[in-house]
Amino acid sequence: MKKSLFLSILVLFLTGFIAYPSSFALAAEPIVFGVPTALGSIEGRDGWMAIQMAVEEINAKGGVLVGGERRPLKAYSIDTREHEPGIPVHDALTAVEKLILEKKPNAIVLGAFRSEILMASMDLIAKYRLPYLCSIAMTPAYQKKIVQEYDKYKYCFRNCLNAIYLVKYLQGVMGFLAKEFGFNKAYVIVQDTLWAQATGKGLKKWYEKNNWEVAGFDAYPLGASDFSSSLIKVRAKKSQVIVPIFDMPQSGILLKQARALKIPALLCGFISPVAPGDAWEVFEGEVEGMVNFLFEIGPIPVKAVPRSVEFNQNFGKRWGEKPRVQLSGHGPGPSYDSVYIMADAITRAGTLEPDAIVSALEKTDMKGVVGRIRFAKDHQVVYGFDPEETALGCAFQWSKPGIRVPVFPELVAEAKIQLPPYMK
Amino acid sequence: MISSILVYGLVNSVILALIAIGFSLTFGISGVANFAYGGFYLLSGYLTWILLKYLGLPFIVAVFITIGAVGLLGFLIYWVILLRVRGIVLSEVIATFALGVGMLEFFRWKGFVTYEFTLPYFKKGMLLIADVPVDYQRLFIIAIGLALVLFLYIFTHHTRIGWSFRGIAQNERTAISLGIESDWTAALSLAFGSAMAAVAAISILPLGIISINMGYDVLLIAVAVGIVGGLESVPGILVASLILGYAQIITSMYISAEWMMVVYLAAIVLVLTIKPSGLFGKFKELEERV
Repeated sequence: MKKSLFLSILVLFLTGFIAYPSSFALAAEPIVFGVPTALGSIEGRDGWMAIQMAVEEINAKGGVLVGGERRPLKAYSIDTREHEPGIPVHDALTAVEKLILEKKPNAIVLGAFRSEILMASMDLIAKYRLPYLCSIAMTPAYQKKIVQEYDKYKYCFRNCLNAIYLVKYLQGVMGFLAKEFGFNKAYVIVQDTLWAQATGKGLKKWYEKNNWEVAGFDAYPLGASDFSSSLIKVRAKKSQVIVPIFDMPQSGILLKQARALKIPALLCGFISPVAPGDAWEVFEGEVEGMVNFLFEIGPIPVKAVPRSVEFNQNFGKRWGEKPRVQLSGHGPGPSYDSVYIMADAITRAGTLEPDAIVSALEKTDMKGVVGRIRFAKDHQVVYGFDPEETALGCAFQWSKPGIRVPVFPELVAEAKIQLPPYMK
Repeated sequence: MISSILVYGLVNSVILALIAIGFSLTFGISGVANFAYGGFYLLSGYLTWILLKYLGLPFIVAVFITIGAVGLLGFLIYWVILLRVRGIVLSEVIATFALGVGMLEFFRWKGFVTYEFTLPYFKKGMLLIADVPVDYQRLFIIAIGLALVLFLYIFTHHTRIGWSFRGIAQNERTAISLGIESDWTAALSLAFGSAMAAVAAISILPLGIISINMGYDVLLIAVAVGIVGGLESVPGILVASLILGYAQIITSMYISAEWMMVVYLAAIVLVLTIKPSGLFGKFKELEERV
């Protein structure tokens, strides 16, 4: 009796071992990813959710293969609150260092929300030699610094869109507006942060070279919520296009104010609160006609990129329909991809040694939620118009009855840009 | 451009006056600088939003509940917290500031940080005034600002509570000797000031979104306007609002919107250097003359 009981337990044990090898892999020492970001921002919140989802998926498949051993992934976040006005850079950096010292991560994913924090973090990252994959902050100054001092900053990478690529996308849309509607006068309104200023100034240069008139260029501090002075000037100068570049929560009100004042100009740019799928409801239909950007696909599934469709559906299953609909226009896709990119690099490197991971990251070539992921020499993922060759962002237009219609680039466009009713 | 400055300067001035008048009223009567004012302002916005969004109450009902609830909270806070530190200026400031920060950070902790927190316009639409577009909400703000000033004048000159307000504001000891109850009057002044923060929030917040940092901005505005005009003087508040309101609009039109906030700080420094009591203030009048 005792013998048969022992044999039964042994059989059960062996069956479990064969059927669930991953549970044993998870007993190994975990690989730790640190996620220091602005968790209170919609981009940071969604990015962190996407990262947790990716970690769960990888662990469900047995973890990350490192040097012949499968090891589970663990991700720890810390809220840097850097999206809030008045938070000193030093406070955000202290949070980053706290995470590094307490959780001892092997790599950082998602990373800084604000470009100013990203730039200030670079020395910290170099000091701790941590592979760092940024998925939100967008300043091109990051790449410049990496190229200038490669040996020091080689640990820094970015897989989200940067301001240079955003300008390229905006140029494409502006070219279409000029050709289709004869527009040639724009008014640029940006928030006073590195990435937004860089985007606005980059676009301004393009306008000047392409026979457009820039009727005005205004910068608003973080937290500002009255844009009426700019809107009055837009009206007085008869601008045909307003180009807003904002990621702060208050910026959604720019659109509401423009409609309230009946400004006869097309809003075409990036207003973060107007990107999610519930913006029509939140702004009571006043978003109609606005052309907004999704910096990276994923929040809108694109059939040409199956991973984007899969991500979008799985996000809904994991977190619920409301969070899926509310996915922000910047960050979730790259944040999700960042876990896979880093895990893939660790596997190829076969070690957790930072320099080896950096070398492997530089050779990354994989298909992700945002399209094809490859790093340029300056450690920025290449964005373009064909997801088979590059990563992809897209522009969409809000149309009745509250749907986001992709309008650019052509490969994913489902319709042409239409003039909103108040401009006809 | 000139007509835009005239129209929007007036709107901006009334917004500043609406924000500052509750803070000034409480200080003028009880001497309490209510540094929880930004917290009351934001609480009013979120409370109205919750009443509208979750309870589905009619707008006007939500407005009256909010004004009443926030006023009552101000009244209770006097009895529960401020009564114990009354007269110790530093303790009053620390207590109210801590309370205000606590209120603001509570909302941050509970996740009231995204773009979805907006209050509806009273009425959608716009008018052209001298070819300058002005939405109805801004016109409502002007009307509410004027009505509030008129109400305050009538209230303080023709009601018993108003007389006791003025009595305590003029000379607390004499007022007490005449039978005016100091603590009750001070508590009522805090209730009135808080209710006015609610009126300001419900009128102004539809123009923007309800965000945590706005609580801090509102306190800065109330203090800046108070310092320039004279903290305890209602006419001073009105004049200071006009000066700062127009200065801000001129700055945004001719320099850049990012410099608008600097106007407050520059005005505070300038007035404190030249006339520390403010344009109409009397607190340090004697020292200034000496």
